[in-house]
Amino acid sequence: MAMPNKVITIQSDLDIVAARMAARDMAKSMGFGAIDQARIATAISELARNIYLYAGEGTVTVSEIQQGLRKGLQVVCEDQGPGIEDISLVMQDGYTTSKGMGMGMPGAKRLMDEFEIESIVGEGTKITCRKWKRP
Amino acid sequence: MDIVNIPILKIENFLIASVQVALYDMQAIQFKDAVLQKIYETKAKGVIIDLTAMDVLDSFVGRLISDIAAMARLMGTTVVITGLQPAVAITLVELGLELPGVTTALNLEKGIAKLRLITENNADGNA
Ligand SMILES: Nc1ncnc2c1ncn2[C@@H]1O[C@H](COP(=O)(O)OP(=O)(O)OP(=O)(O)O)[C@@H](O)[C@H]1O
Ligand SMILES: [Mg+2]
Repeated sequence: MAMPNKVITIQSDLDIVAARMAARDMAKSMGFGAIDQARIATAISELARNIYLYAGEGTVTVSEIQQGLRKGLQVVCEDQGPGIEDISLVMQDGYTTSKGMGMGMPGAKRLMDEFEIESIVGEGTKITCRKWKRP
Repeated sequence: MDIVNIPILKIENFLIASVQVALYDMQAIQFKDAVLQKIYETKAKGVIIDLTAMDVLDSFVGRLISDIAAMARLMGTTVVITGLQPAVAITLVELGLELPGVTTALNLEKGIAKLRLITENNADGNA
């Protein structure tokens, strides 16, 4: 039986840790190995911090998903912040508007198996990413 | 909001700090400031930051660790990071953070041996 979704509201740096712990806990109870748990937790930490930094607030929803016989973990990060004008630009290593390292988005994509961005300037950003369990 | 409480111990000429809990961004910044202040107060020649208990290291904390190492170097002090778990090391590299300029060792014991070697060599060089 699939586990219930977990929704974490991101409003402060404390919530960044809460989001990655929720994702790691779910990954662990689904049977993901230690390295995949770390990959998932790190990716969520990056995306949740981006919500906090660039949108001020938003939500992270962690859920167990199934496709045929495969099981996976899905994370949806949503905010009603400023949106992203040029998605291909923010996916480049080193691109930042905040004197960060510009590694968060491209790094999170490398750590997950699937990574989709929907964003409308002035309305917000929704990032959906998934990690599949190796059979 | 919690003030981070990570004891920074002094043993001989070295400082040892072991991070045992997940750090919020603010706490990570406080930790950086505390380490640099303690280096200044104690004139320690070397610092070990042990991360054995850390199961996640993201770009924020990764960058702070690089910053601590760079700032300590400017103060004439060597920083060695010890105890990175395999999953953490793999994730850091995949994330794109290889912590350039940061000296690492497998565990606390090897870290102390490395610090001794580095600080003795530095002393010879300056003599
Ligand atoms: N949720 C978001 N809403 C609006 N803009 C965003 C959002 N997430 C990321 N961005 C934009 O994308 C850029 C790249 O993000 P990325 O996480 O890759 O790097 P960074 O946050 O600047 O630095 P780092 O994550 O390495 O500390 C950001 O500088 C910001 O301009
Ligand atoms: Mg970022």
